[in-house]
Amino acid sequence: MDAIKVSGLSFSYDGKKDVLSDVAFSIPKGCYTTIIGHNGSGKSTIAKLLIGLMSPKQGSIEILGQSLNEESVYKLRDHVGIVFQNPDNQFIGSTVADDIAFGLENHCVPQEQMQDIIEDVAGRVGMLDFLNSEPTKLSGGQKQRVAIAGILAIEPEIIIFDESTSMLDPQGKASINEQIQKLHSEKDRTILSITHDMEEVAQSEYVIVLKDGHVVLTGTPMEIFAHEKELASMMLDIPFALKVSKELTKEKITNQEVCTLEEVVNQLCQLKSTI
Amino acid sequence: MVMNNIALGRYMPLDSVIHHLDPRAKIMVLLFLMIAVFIPAGAVGYVVIAAFIVVALFLSKLQISYALRAMKPMIWMMIFLLVINTLVIKTGTPWIQWGWFSVYSDAIYQTLYIVVRLMFMIILTTILTATTKPLDLTLGIEKLLKPFEKIGLPAHIIAMMISIALRFIPTLIEETQRIMNAQASRGVDFENGGLKEKIFSILSLIVPLFVSSFDRAEQLANAMEARGYDPNRQRTRYKVLKMKTKDIFGMAMSVVILGVCLGIWIL
Repeated sequence: MDAIKVSGLSFSYDGKKDVLSDVAFSIPKGCYTTIIGHNGSGKSTIAKLLIGLMSPKQGSIEILGQSLNEESVYKLRDHVGIVFQNPDNQFIGSTVADDIAFGLENHCVPQEQMQDIIEDVAGRVGMLDFLNSEPTKLSGGQKQRVAIAGILAIEPEIIIFDESTSMLDPQGKASINEQIQKLHSEKDRTILSITHDMEEVAQSEYVIVLKDGHVVLTGTPMEIFAHEKELASMMLDIPFALKVSKELTKEKITNQEVCTLEEVVNQLCQLKSTI
Repeated sequence: MVMNNIALGRYMPLDSVIHHLDPRAKIMVLLFLMIAVFIPAGAVGYVVIAAFIVVALFLSKLQISYALRAMKPMIWMMIFLLVINTLVIKTGTPWIQWGWFSVYSDAIYQTLYIVVRLMFMIILTTILTATTKPLDLTLGIEKLLKPFEKIGLPAHIIAMMISIALRFIPTLIEETQRIMNAQASRGVDFENGGLKEKIFSILSLIVPLFVSSFDRAEQLANAMEARGYDPNRQRTRYKVLKMKTKDIFGMAMSVVILGVCLGIWIL
């Protein structure tokens, strides 16, 4: 069964110009998928449609085998969590603990269980020492980690990241990407990340490329990065690690192109040991 | 910089008996005493209330200067009252008589009367807001309004609105500062200039602030909805309030004071 299945999806804000037209893709359960595309390609619109904040003009969305509509939306939100772009505008509580509790309150979790859940999820994102901190005292990366904790508290099967790292500094970005990796490997959790960050794309298992509201490419990161010219025409660059790897294979130092820094380092280390 | 201007009504994180009282009890005490202040019980009534306030202020560990600072904006109000009263009230014994200008005793007494009432009210509210976290205050208000839900008052929605407003005050102050800096770097002068320039510079602050606030509001609403918030559905609560003996005692004291004032007035 697919975690998310979208078919023939069209959407328009003003009724004239389609932001999305005839978009179709499916994401298997437990898969870490990224969606990339230039500004205005309709990436964030997909996130809003998947969580049911807007309804599509045409087409259907199936989440965990259930069709998403007016009646099922509240029930399906128990299974889907989303982390938005702006760290400040999704922090609802006055303190970290209150913010994590917000989702629990909405899902009618009994009061006696809340403290344990809050401490557990705050620990998992490394924010246990900040439970009583106010949002103004936290960095953007810390706020996004709280947002992840708030979603983890509900234990959804699917977590969507809507450009969650685009407003963060490199440090915050790295810490969130690390969290995403952890979330994915921990359980059979489906992750859908909408992003600009090509390093993150390299980490994922499946990539969907959007252009002007159409799906133009799908495949594994290496398959996508093979279309370097097409990506460049959409203002998307291949990751730095892959560029290095390409040069290395060109110089016949290594024999296989890879796209993550980790893999490049691995290759080079093995190289050293054979000399 | 902006932060310093809103010292009035700010929470002071101290550790005192008053801080640990139930917010519902504190709100009820404030309510009872406010009524007591407005009962014309003469000097005796005011002495009783003043004694209670002094004890509460002492127990709250707040500095006297903090309470006095809260009254600073009142000075102009007092002067205004004094001027109006001396011009209008012409009863009692005349104290000063210069040609057409005269000051009568009743005018002074009347002014003092109002000023003392206002001072009591301001100190009482200052003690409440300085010893209670905004969120606890909201929770207290929500619980106290709960009985009115039966007649259609949406207590939990009001509480949610207040707590979100409180949550975003520091964020909006930060934003204001940022826009001011951005506009100043583009040559807008917020400090000098005549009325026309002032209005223009304020506009250059207000318009972007409003635009970004609406944007924020939409994103916040989306985030709340995505996290399963529905105002019409049942929710559980993370924070619970518990009344203790000292809360009951505090409320009993304020009821006694209210009773004394009522007694003096009626008898």
